[in-house]
Amino acid sequence: MHELKLEDNPFFVLGIAADASRIEIEREAQKLLGMLELGFVDAQTYPTPLGPRPRTAELVRAAVAALRDPYRRLVAELWARHAPPAKPAEPPPPASTAGTPGLRDKLGWGR
Amino acid sequence: MDKPLYVGIDLGTTNSAAAVFDGEQVSVIRNAQGATVTPSVVRLDKQGRITVGTRARRFVEQDPANTAAEFKRLMGTEKAIEFPAAGITRKPEELSAEVLKALRQDIHDQLGVPIERAVISVPALFELPQSAATSEAARLAGFQRVELLQEPIASALAAGWRADDDGAGTWLVFDLGGGTFDASLLETRDGLLRVVGHDGDNFLGGRDFDWAITEHLASRLSVVPRRNNPDHQAALRALRLAAEDAKIELSRGEKAQVALAQPLSIDGQDVDVDLELTRGTVEQLCAPLVDRALDVCVRLLSAHGLAPGRVGKVVLVGGPTVMPMVRSRVAARLETQIAEGHDPMTLVAQGAALYAATAGLDGRAAQVAVPAGRQVWLQYPAVSADLTPHVVGKFVGDNPPAKIKLVRGDGAWSSPEATVGPDGTFLTSVTLLPRRACTFAIEARGAGGEVVNVTPPAITIVQGLTIGDPPLSRTLGVALANGHVQVYLERGAPLPARRTFTHHTVETVAKGSSESILRIPIVQGEMTQADLCRLVGTLDIGGDSIKDTVPTGSAVEVTIELDRGGRLAARALIPAIGQVFEHVAHLLVPDAAPEALDAALRDLRRQLMELRADAFRHGLGHVIEKLDRLEARMSEAERDIDAAHGGDADAAQRARRALLDIDGTMADADLAKKWPELDNEARRVAISASSTVGLHGTDAERSLLQEVLAAMDKARKEKDAAELERQMRLASRLSGAAFNRTPEAWELYFEDAASEISRCTDLPKANRLVTEGKAALDRGDTTELRRVVKALWALLPEDSEARRKAYDSGVR
Repeated sequence: MHELKLEDNPFFVLGIAADASRIEIEREAQKLLGMLELGFVDAQTYPTPLGPRPRTAELVRAAVAALRDPYRRLVAELWARHAPPAKPAEPPPPASTAGTPGLRDKLGWGR
Repeated sequence: MDKPLYVGIDLGTTNSAAAVFDGEQVSVIRNAQGATVTPSVVRLDKQGRITVGTRARRFVEQDPANTAAEFKRLMGTEKAIEFPAAGITRKPEELSAEVLKALRQDIHDQLGVPIERAVISVPALFELPQSAATSEAARLAGFQRVELLQEPIASALAAGWRADDDGAGTWLVFDLGGGTFDASLLETRDGLLRVVGHDGDNFLGGRDFDWAITEHLASRLSVVPRRNNPDHQAALRALRLAAEDAKIELSRGEKAQVALAQPLSIDGQDVDVDLELTRGTVEQLCAPLVDRALDVCVRLLSAHGLAPGRVGKVVLVGGPTVMPMVRSRVAARLETQIAEGHDPMTLVAQGAALYAATAGLDGRAAQVAVPAGRQVWLQYPAVSADLTPHVVGKFVGDNPPAKIKLVRGDGAWSSPEATVGPDGTFLTSVTLLPRRACTFAIEARGAGGEVVNVTPPAITIVQGLTIGDPPLSRTLGVALANGHVQVYLERGAPLPARRTFTHHTVETVAKGSSESILRIPIVQGEMTQADLCRLVGTLDIGGDSIKDTVPTGSAVEVTIELDRGGRLAARALIPAIGQVFEHVAHLLVPDAAPEALDAALRDLRRQLMELRADAFRHGLGHVIEKLDRLEARMSEAERDIDAAHGGDADAAQRARRALLDIDGTMADADLAKKWPELDNEARRVAISASSTVGLHGTDAERSLLQEVLAAMDKARKEKDAAELERQMRLASRLSGAAFNRTPEAWELYFEDAASEISRCTDLPKANRLVTEGKAALDRGDTTELRRVVKALWALLPEDSEARRKAYDSGVR
């Protein structure tokens, strides 16, 4: 039991279901490491019940290593299954070019 | 040569070997003499000319002063090895570099390709200074980039690579090298290799076999040479070489004659050596050593709930395992079959070469290619257990092609066309053929369907057994001023790895003062107490290098980074002054003076007597048993210290490590002695955690606590004090996490911290914080109260003795 932090759960980091097979885990990790190396925007964050978190190559490698260990996988599965649903990212603010210039500031937005 | 060349090197204590993997076949490299192993021996003559390998080994007896062997055991120490004829000294890594240069040249001669990158194997329990010295040796030998891999993983990978598909299951690698013994329990499933567990004895190897035979031969001479007498070393060396030859001869025959051409000179007398040695005698002499290795294997199996007979097969690695007696004893005690068809002398090098492919480390010198089409960066596994791995890519420059397709070399399969995004990125997958190297041509088309040439035009992926990133062999952390260790990277963490934690200074570092230093000690080891771990580096921030004074309690963000070459980097950011410090002083493995070893052994013996008396008084049979084993190890260390007095630097290092290990085990025994109190404490923790987590915990915390309580129960039944302590810490953490969610938790913490205000290092600040805390309490502002409590904790001083033991750490 190395980590108790919910947001670092290996299943969240890899973005896979708690019943994923060993090969599925390795395949997903290999894909994510490649995407991170080449700067794919989609790979740079992952959703968790506490909101999106930045994904790094170190986190992905640690997640795979954790899921290779049957005991650590069991603990991760337990947490992943009991976790509340992932919290979506904050919606992006409406484009500032739309509407009257400066209106957003006047209404107190964007502080 | 079109095929990639993945190079693996086994830089051994006694012998070294190299192998290459071209994606399909693993070949062992032969040296100029046609042999697959090269003795790790270096000679420097009076002209300073260097000879390596078999030719140098011939001089071990004739010219021992100018011929160095077994210097691998001194890697990472500052021991300089003298070559008096040439009047020069060399560091152990410089001598290892000569062996690596010779192997690199052999590869070049055999394959006609210069090699710049390789994987080098190191013992499983190498410490960081030793790993760093190995990387330095590779650099000196002309390698541009190397990665290090633990020897048991290398041999497992080589053995597993050749296993049939139905070879899935649990198996054991029995690696008896020249100086160390490693046992690794492995599991292969779905084409993935996993190291289940590892155990070993850093002080058991083929050289112990040689010494056992040498001492037997010495005892039969008319004048007996002694290991602790510097004047007898030449005679012992000659006898030991003869013993080694006889041992190899007796692997095939029943009798060997040990005869030396020249009489030995012992105490001024000429002593002739002409002795008969039988296989039976050698087996009798070596059997206790083999049994010691087998005890380690049984302990490893038992730690994972396995009994002998439950392991599918055993793979033997290392020269001594060629002895028929070793094979039969291993098969009988572990009740399993020995895996046949592996060369125990080159298996590690073969595994390292296979791993180089997994790591995508092509050994050939990088060629500057002129792009013949649109350049694309690709990410794919060079070796994959998965039959349908992903290929991720990105085109360089604007206006990338619209579609991309990969076509397998045999023409029997091609991927669906993948769309390339406006930013040039794409994602697709390929289908591999089992246990084959597959080449895929990359076909791209523009928006109008026109063919676009791509560089590189093709990629190759090998389907086969894979292993994850190499794991860290020992836990790495920062020693804290309270004597504990903040773990950064746990044993088994995949490399490369990096982690950051925020600490706080325990005293003020005054600007401009060279005497005022903030020290961040980096330690390696499995113990929670800093003084029981090895110091492997320090990050010192002097008052003369800071822009402004750093007050007590200031935050320090420390990042520790470790690559696959054993290179450690650490960085400290002090946000209050906006400065970053990066210079880490890497430490050497300390020198082991025989007198210091004598004193340490005396001290440990005294502690052992005290512990034993206590254990008898309390009737703790399991502790007495543990202490008996320690006593046996102390006797072995004593023999090595004896040899160290005779000038054997290698034996001195063995003794130093043995004493450190004994010291660690003694701490465990000390813990076991306190069993009754620990047992009571465990009950208290279990009751308290059950109640807190039951009332305030989440569902997941409650499930997890059930597991921890079951593990505590098991540890109590087995009277495993260290494990019980570990599980108690987990229970307390779960309990703490649940309790901290309640508003009254921080009220209680605040009252407790406020009652200790007189001890705080900065009284005015502490008074201010207490006032702020009271206000927060009145308002019911838990967030603010939490901040105040943490700030108060940071002002409480550390015990000076604990701090000294934590290598003068300046952080908490």
